[in-house]
Amino acid sequence: MDTLLLARLQFATTTSIHFLFVVVTLGLVTLLVGLQTAWFLTGNPAWERLTRFWGQLYVINYVLGIATGIVMEFQFGLNWSGLSRYVGNVFGAPLAIETLVAFFLESTFLGMWIFGWHRLRRGVHLALLWGVALTAYASAFWIMVANSWLQNPVGYELRDGVAHLTDFTALLTNPSLGMAFGHVVAAALLTGGVLMAAVSAWHLIRRTPDFALFRTSLRIGLVTAAIAVTLVQGFGFAQFGPVGQVQPTKFGGGPEADALVAEWTARFGPGDYSPPVLSDVGLGFMILIGFTLGCVWLLLPLLWRDWVIRLRFPLWLILFALPLPFVAVILGWIAREVGRQPWVAYGLLPTGQAVSGVDAGLMLASLIGFSLLLGTLAVTNWTLLARHAARGAADPALGRPPGGRDDDARPEPAFA
Amino acid sequence: MELAWYALLGLFFATYLVLGGYDYGVGLLLARGTDPARRRAALTALGPFFLGNEVWLVAAVGILFGAFPTLEGELLSGFYPAVVGALVGVILVTAGVQLRSRPTAQAARARWDRVVVAGSALAALGWGALLGGLLQGVPRHADGHVAGVSHLFTPFAAAAGLAMLALVAVHGATFLTLRLPAADAAAVGRLARRLVPVALAAVATATVLGLLSERVRAAAARPLVGVLLPLSLVAALLVARAALGRGRPGVAFAATGAALALPVALVGATLWPWVLVSTVDPAASLSVADAAASGPTLRLLGWLALPLLPALLGFQAMCWWVFRGRTDGRAPVYW
Repeated sequence: MDTLLLARLQFATTTSIHFLFVVVTLGLVTLLVGLQTAWFLTGNPAWERLTRFWGQLYVINYVLGIATGIVMEFQFGLNWSGLSRYVGNVFGAPLAIETLVAFFLESTFLGMWIFGWHRLRRGVHLALLWGVALTAYASAFWIMVANSWLQNPVGYELRDGVAHLTDFTALLTNPSLGMAFGHVVAAALLTGGVLMAAVSAWHLIRRTPDFALFRTSLRIGLVTAAIAVTLVQGFGFAQFGPVGQVQPTKFGGGPEADALVAEWTARFGPGDYSPPVLSDVGLGFMILIGFTLGCVWLLLPLLWRDWVIRLRFPLWLILFALPLPFVAVILGWIAREVGRQPWVAYGLLPTGQAVSGVDAGLMLASLIGFSLLLGTLAVTNWTLLARHAARGAADPALGRPPGGRDDDARPEPAFA
Repeated sequence: MELAWYALLGLFFATYLVLGGYDYGVGLLLARGTDPARRRAALTALGPFFLGNEVWLVAAVGILFGAFPTLEGELLSGFYPAVVGALVGVILVTAGVQLRSRPTAQAARARWDRVVVAGSALAALGWGALLGGLLQGVPRHADGHVAGVSHLFTPFAAAAGLAMLALVAVHGATFLTLRLPAADAAAVGRLARRLVPVALAAVATATVLGLLSERVRAAAARPLVGVLLPLSLVAALLVARAALGRGRPGVAFAATGAALALPVALVGATLWPWVLVSTVDPAASLSVADAAASGPTLRLLGWLALPLLPALLGFQAMCWWVFRGRTDGRAPVYW
């Protein structure tokens, strides 16, 4: 095993786990903003209960988003020191901006939101959640700016083999950015919508108390998923044009790809410049899942007179659809990232040159250690999420009035 | 320009050590006693600040990557074991503190608490070893890469890690003295006072080992500033102990906070103008200016940071202000 392969495996593992959690974060926070704003405007306690229940799931999910995100940030320097050395002048800027503009504030706001219940004025409390949501979107945007630069390096010049920033606006108008950002955000909304609908469907199937509450969130989840899946498909197919232009080798050959490979062979020497087949396979399956999820539109007419609940089988369909968006986002990510190989920055920096000169044994230990650590945490986190989802909205710890019932002496709910 | 960014990097990392330091200190102190209510009270004291503390680390690494890309690659990969140790610690604390109260069973919560204790220890040891490692220089060769990681395994780096562990424990106990309900604060205040001599011993050990180490003596470009480091740590710890004795936890907290921030500033100043001093080839040492990103990148980030910094500080200050004072029965409980 060489260091390069181990480092790539480690990055792929970390990023996959990260992505599974951040799509939920981004999707759910959007829905939460809607729920809490409705509570603020109407004063109806039903909205408060919805906010607390979904907010609790959101906060549990958020933990792994941070944990894996921090590992990723450090991995650039730990395992990919060549990346910072050769292209850090350009690639580092959007990442630095992301941490300062987005993540820093996102977490600060979230801490105040969690503990601000019953303490802050309701308007301030709502504003904090809006802040969390806006900074989450900003975070996704700047990460996509950085990622798009790796897909299609722009706005730089090479001096002594090192890239220097010349035009920052080129990074923001990168052809591989716009549609991809829309695609990712829509995919996150889709995931959030499907998650909300599936958890609600489970409660409606089990006929747990709180029929009205889960009926509401089922409807919100389904409508969100329907709108989002259309956006996902639109932004997805809209990417083929620009991606084909800036990355001709990504989705198979063609005269442009051949010309580019010939140019690279002249500049970087002979080599295999076509991406692994894995990326195309991933793309195919992702599109298949995208069309399958598109069928959610067929369920919308059943919202009339609650037929979706009365017929029962649509609830099962929704429940079984829960893994689909997660599989799809991973496949989509594989198509985008593996399709960039063998480059870390397309046509500029080969992946092999970016890896740190760390001993293979150390890299293997790090790969195994972090995979076990993050894998265990991810499974634990999903278990906790499932338990809390199943426990229902009777009395989530989030937003519980202080000084009331002692949380430590709480009885186990019968249906958890 | 480079100096300003270097100072900003130091400011963010030092603030992280001060704020994250009491997270880890409180985490370490979960090890004492098995009373679930007492642990919950300690975590409630962290409460609203916890999420806003570690963001300083993420932002510091962001600045490191954006403004000092060359340093980022060599620093993190050159100190691989220390950085990975600290990173694993940070992850364990992050997940442990936020998830420990989600299961209702006390046994599960106790397991999570052990995770938090282990994570806090790892994080403190890792950052201490990293700061110590900077002081003893690295085998950076003419090709610009730091070769191997065995350079880190010295008595001095270990002592620096342990000193950081002791400082963090004192800091955490002082934080709890400041923040817990007055009735519980007295006991933890006595604990903080008892921990001060331990920290003094750890700092003294690290100082002696540092003075004996040829590598440390060679790497220090400004030895006088270097000597100032242990002296100021001792002074800060003594001030903290005296203040705790007189029932002034606020002053004590400022002093232990200074004890965590000072190492960053003084390590930076001791090595200046270098940041990575090469032990094998003096010409291969990395200076701050060479480590920095090129002009356009720094200017871009500068225009961004200038209006942003007041906002970042403002929202953090808002959090401190809203949740100021001692916790009581009305404090929100979530962690």
